[in-house]
Order: sequence, then structure tokens, then C-alpha cells
Amino acid sequence: MKYVLSFTVNGQPMETLAEPTTSLLDVLRDKLEVTSPKRGCESGDCGACTVLVNGKAVPSCLTVALTVAGSEITTVEGLVQDGQLHPLQRAFYEHGATQCGFCTCGMLMAAKALLDRNPSPTRDEIVLGMSGNLCRCGGYVQVMEAIEDVAGRKYEVKAADTRGGK
Amino acid sequence: MPNAEYFATTELREALRLLAERGDQITVLAGGTDLAPKFNCRELQPGALLYIGKLGLNYIIAKNGGLAIGAATTLEDLATSRLVLERAPVLAQAAAEMGNPAIRNVATIGGNLVTASRAADMPPPLLALDAELILVSERGERVIPIGEFFKRAHKTVRLSDELLTEIRIPSVKGQTAFVRHGRRKIFSCCVASAAVRVVLDGGKCADARIVAGSMAPTPVRCLGAEGVLKGKNLTSDLAGEAAAQAVGECKPIDDERASAWYRRRVIKVLIERAINQASGL
Repeated sequence: MKYVLSFTVNGQPMETLAEPTTSLLDVLRDKLEVTSPKRGCESGDCGACTVLVNGKAVPSCLTVALTVAGSEITTVEGLVQDGQLHPLQRAFYEHGATQCGFCTCGMLMAAKALLDRNPSPTRDEIVLGMSGNLCRCGGYVQVMEAIEDVAGRKYEVKAADTRGGK
Repeated sequence: MPNAEYFATTELREALRLLAERGDQITVLAGGTDLAPKFNCRELQPGALLYIGKLGLNYIIAKNGGLAIGAATTLEDLATSRLVLERAPVLAQAAAEMGNPAIRNVATIGGNLVTASRAADMPPPLLALDAELILVSERGERVIPIGEFFKRAHKTVRLSDELLTEIRIPSVKGQTAFVRHGRRKIFSCCVASAAVRVVLDGGKCADARIVAGSMAPTPVRCLGAEGVLKGKNLTSDLAGEAAAQAVGECKPIDDERASAWYRRRVIKVLIERAINQASGL
């Protein structure tokens, strides 16, 4: 049976109906037309569905929607402020951190959660913080560059990097 | 199911009443990271969900020199808790290596225990720490030593009218280590794990716990391996002997992650490494 579900999404109060086993991902995409989180695996194995619930990164495909009633949900749609791209969005764009784009929204939300918690992460901390987000295009280095850029540090090319010189 | 119901009470008494009335039809939901994949592919279509996230079961408190941990405590809270890092670091280490940051924000220690997968990561460190689990129902409370909680893969002694509310870790002596192996360094299900605690008394091993995870239907206390260490001075060679003994006490299977053949070789390395780390060798 359907239950009334209310929460805020990117600052906007929203209300809809959901069944007990409906995921937050399904509600956002199918009921509320918030389509930035992607349906990559529906088993918590890819990170493409990552959104923030009360500031914390969660796998929205594994989140039973009714359990986040009353919460503040943040998605990529909420990153733009006053018509300006969020620094992470700008950095992803400038560093070519998006190829097909399917993993990008999950990457952005995971990166935001990481930097909100730890504004100056080391490279290892970035790798750990982003460890839940897979990219089939293989664009990990540019993602790390972009995050290091926003964290205020220039990405250092280490000897083990195999991509061509910058 | 078209008429599936959802309950999310803030009162433990109400949750227990529901479980007493309809426990065998109710699916208990904590973080949902084990259940939701099954909802998504329709493998599981529960008639009723009881969400326990609002019962105040997310806590970590100091108790009698050890810890009392609420069953709905998230893995991230465990991994970063100063108290856990002080009193049960092996548990924090295991939690920190599970899943990924987003999953750790919602997955719970209780959920991992009740799901009772062969590859569960919380049982081995808890076995090494002699933990006890609290099962509560309208009939009262049961205190179950963790070694008696698991019956077989995906089956525990929890009855359908019971709720796992708390994990208690006594004040234990000794040094611990946890070593885990998966198909990837991170964000992958456990292929084999070793949780070890050694109690040293003037250079000799006074007591030991050697636990293998993902090596049998339930986590394995390798008693024979523990016997190899007890009463002796710990050396790397002895650690190797104990590890070799432990292999024979495990019953690994072939599954989509690894073969039994491979697991037997890996667990020997992991246990030896964990004994060496715990003993400072």
C-alpha cells in the first residue's frame, strides 16, 4: 500500500506517495523527476545513485524511501547556487572529468560529501572517499585532479601514473 | 506485494508487540543495504516492513570497561568512534573496510549480524572479543554469546518475535589484528578474513583467539590453532604453524568470488599475518 512521504529536495519541500519497498532513487527519478542520480546497478555496487541525506552520502538505490521522511535530500540539481556552478562542477568541467557522464552525478555528490567533511583531503583520503564510485569510461585520474583542485591543491603527477604527460 | 505495510515506530515496546503478533510475516529493516538489493530485483517482496532506525538503537557507550553498541549503529560510526578505537580497535578496522563511504553511512552492525552472510565482516572481530548479543522480545531478554548466535549461513538463533538490540563487548585483554582479503583492495565482498587477539604474559601467550571469516557457513573459531600458541613464546615460525593448523579447521566453498582451493591458501597467509601484527612480531 502507498504511504505519504514528505521531505525536502534541494531546499524544496516535496510530497509524494511511496510503497514500503520503493527506493529513494525510484522516488526521486520516477515520482519527482529529479533525474541526476542514476540507476547503475540497483545493488549498491557502483555509486551512480549517490545522493546526500542530511548532508551524508547514501546509496539511494538501497535507501528505502519511507525511512528518509522528513530529511533534507541534496542532489546535483541543488549544487548550482544563484546561477553559478558549484566549484566541484566547474572543476569537473575544466579537468575533463566527465566522459559519458553516467557516473558523474554520483561522483559529484560523493566528492561534495568528502570535502564537506574534510576540506583538505590527502590524495589517499580522496581515493578512499571516492572508493564507492565506479567509472566504466575509466576517467578516475581527472576526477581526482578536479577534487584536488577544489581542495586547493594542484594534483601531482606521481611516477606510477601511466597517462601521458600533462 | 500490493498491500505491503510499513511500520516505523519510535517505541521499542510497540516494535516488540508487532513482532510478537506477526513476527514471521514481518521483515525487520535497519540500514537496508542487504535487503534493498532483493527488493529492487523482486527476489524479496515482504508483506510488512518494520523500520528500526527510530528506536534509539544507534549508540556506542562505555560499559564495565568494555562497550555497549546499539544494533542500529552504522559502520561509519563504528569505524570513527574514539571509544571503539580505544577499547575494540579490531572492530573499527573491520567496519572501516566494509563497503564504501556511502554504504557505511547507512549499513548497521546489527544488520550484518542478522543477515549472517558467510562473508560477513562483523562476526570475526566480535568473536575475537568474546562479544555477547542481546535479543529482546515481549517474553524477555536473552544474552547470547556470539559463538552461539550463528547456526548456518543466513540463519541465526534469533526467533521471529525477537529483535537484536545490543552488542556487548566485555573488557578484554590483549592485542588484536584484523586482516581482510577481497577481489579488490576496497569495496568488495570478503573472500577471507582473519581476526586475532593474543594475550601476552611476560613473553608467553596466555590466551588467544583466532577467527577465520568467509571460510565456512559461519565464522570459525580456530581452536586448534589457538592451542598451538597457548603457553608458548610467540615467534613468526609459531605463527606459521598456527596458521597451517587453522586451514584444516575451515570449510571453504567455491563461490562467485573465489574457490575453496584459493581460500585455503589465502587464509593461511592472513592468519599468520594477523598473529604477527597482533604480537608485534
